[in-house]
Formats: sequence, C-alpha cells, structure tokens
Amino acid sequence: MGRGAVTTAPHIILSSGLGSCVVVTLYDTKRKLGGLAHIMLPDSISLNGSHPAYKCADTAIATLIKELRSMRASPRDMVAKLVGGAKMFLSSDDFGPGIGGQNILSVKRILTRRRIPVIAENTGGNYGRSVEFYLDSGKVMVRAIGRENMEI
Amino acid sequence: MNDKKQLLSTEQADFLTEMMNIGAGNAATALTQVLQCRVDIGIPRVLVIADVQELSILTSPSLPVVCARMGMVGDVSGGLFLIVPEEQKEDLIRLAEQAVWGAGQSWRAGLTSQESDDLKLSVIAEIGNIVAGVYLTAVHDFCKLNIYHTVPTVATDMVQALLDESLVRLSRQVQYIIVVENEFMVEEKLIRIFLVMIPSVESVNILVNSIGQARMAMVKDGG
Repeated sequence: MGRGAVTTAPHIILSSGLGSCVVVTLYDTKRKLGGLAHIMLPDSISLNGSHPAYKCADTAIATLIKELRSMRASPRDMVAKLVGGAKMFLSSDDFGPGIGGQNILSVKRILTRRRIPVIAENTGGNYGRSVEFYLDSGKVMVRAIGRENMEI
Repeated sequence: MNDKKQLLSTEQADFLTEMMNIGAGNAATALTQVLQCRVDIGIPRVLVIADVQELSILTSPSLPVVCARMGMVGDVSGGLFLIVPEEQKEDLIRLAEQAVWGAGQSWRAGLTSQESDDLKLSVIAEIGNIVAGVYLTAVHDFCKLNIYHTVPTVATDMVQALLDESLVRLSRQVQYIIVVENEFMVEEKLIRIFLVMIPSVESVNILVNSIGQARMAMVKDGG
C-alpha cells in the first residue's frame, strides 16, 4: 500500500490486497519497461507535510513517469492500465463512490492531462484484487477471491 | 515520511495490553454464553502500529478473512473491525449453530446457498457486535471513556482490501492502528480473532491521555 516500483522485462511486479486503493501500471511498449504504483488517495492536497510519493495519485504518477524517464522510457510510448478502486462495504451511512471511485477518477484525469491512454481497466465493484504486472508483455493479471483470474 | 514517534511509553503500552487482556477475558465469557461451551483464551498480542506496512507483521495482506466493520462514536471516534480468518469462519459458525440448534443440526436446511451465506455473515456480524461491545466495556472500565460502536456491516475478502478504505479515510496524517490478536480455544478448535481499532486523528490524543491518566491513578492506588 502506498508504494511503487519500476523495472524492466522479464520481471514481474506484484501488489496484493487492493480494496479502495488503485493500482496504475505504466508500460513503455517499445522499450519493454514499466512501473506500478499502489495509490491510496486521490490527491495530496489534503495531506499536511511530506508523505510517501506513491501514496497519492498526483505525486505517484509524477514519480512513476520521472523514474521511467530516467530509465530512458518515453511518455509518448506509454500505456496505462488500472485495477482496483472497489467499495468493499455496502452500508447505508456512506453514499457516493467512496475513496475508490475518487481514486479512479483522479488517476484518469491525471493520465488524460499527461496524454497517456488507459488501454484496459478492471475497477469498481465490491471485491478485493491482487495484481501481477508482467514486464515482458505489459500484461496485467488480476486475481480475486472466488472469481476467475482476469488478464487485462 | 510519517512521523514515527512512539505513541505510548513502555508503561502505557503495558497498560494497554492489560486493558485488552481484560477485554479478551470479557470476550471469552461472552463467547461462552453465545456458543454454549467452554472457551479458553491465550494471552492476546497487542500491537500499536504507526504504518500500514506493518500490518504485514501479523498476516499476509491477501489473507482471506471475514470482517465485521463498525464505527466508534463517543469520546473516541474512528473505525473498529473484528476479523476472523476464513479458515476459522466455518468452525465459528458451526459452533454458533450447535449452540442454538443442538449438535449436528443446521438452521440452514432448505435455504439457497445465497440465503445461507447471508445468514453466515449475519452470525459473524452478531459475534462482532458482542465482542466489540465487551472490549469497549474494558476500555470504559479502565479509562473512563465512553465509546459506542455502530451496527456492523460484514464482508469477506482479502484482509488488506477490507481495511484500506478506512485506513485512508481515518488517518490522512500519522496513522496509529491498535491491533489485538486473540486466540480462543473452543472445543479443541483454535479460533483467531483480530480486533483492529483505528482511532481518528482527533481521537488519538484523547485515547493516549486517558491511558496515561488511568495508569497513573492505578499506580497511586497500588501505593
């Protein structure tokens, strides 16, 4: 939670136990390298003081892109995938999309601004997910309890 | 990075452990009544963690669990979770069924699997209700804090997935999470129950001050 990593093919990046958090993967299709961030919050504005960069959507995506650039990736060749953003408990006392929904909206808005297309997503719902990001193909495997694995 | 200062002194942490020990005793008594059989307890493990990552000391983040989520209101606000690992859920439900209907009976005969699952979750919600209540009673007895919990909602999934929204919502600044790991022996079955308290940022100081004062009072009384 609130962490991220960048690496090259043929590595795999894992992230497990996503509820309302969102995983965004960025993949440079030409150079076969990419990164993953496990984002907890839609923005860093409400946070006081310093915080881990990967915790919030805005700083997490900026950090991912910076790290990938330093590995000679080009944002022009990057594609994004999103996983998570669920609403785990259905209760009468909180309406609306919840943190999960806000996280997804925020990540999409930031990616649009940076002109990185979201080519696949597995988001929303009321169940948790785990993610495996394969750097050789850019594929993302999504696992959930009691559901079939989904490759996106 | 987060300011990771120790929330409690060693003495205060011992006091918290003692308080939760009494809570576990209360919980065992309550479970004895609910399950209609002998319940033995181990000494609970109490941890105050200051970072979500440290949850992984206790369990894998993807451990399948059933979780009753409640809110805390009153002197201390925040979130309260009762968590039972999925492998022990069926044991707990079977024991509860047995207590109500007698050995080998089931109230689920003739129900669809959906209805049966809903009933199972409702059993966990009720147990969550009872156990959370007796823990908060222990907190009240020690610290004179009136904390009430709201009606539980229950879900089954990976433990971290169930907690992350509340962790984010309640603790945008420094995160303190109180985790109590209980082990109950019921009819030779080991049942692990985790109680997770996430005090809101505004409540952390109230809780810490009350623990400090209550401990000092106890030290004085003890002469």
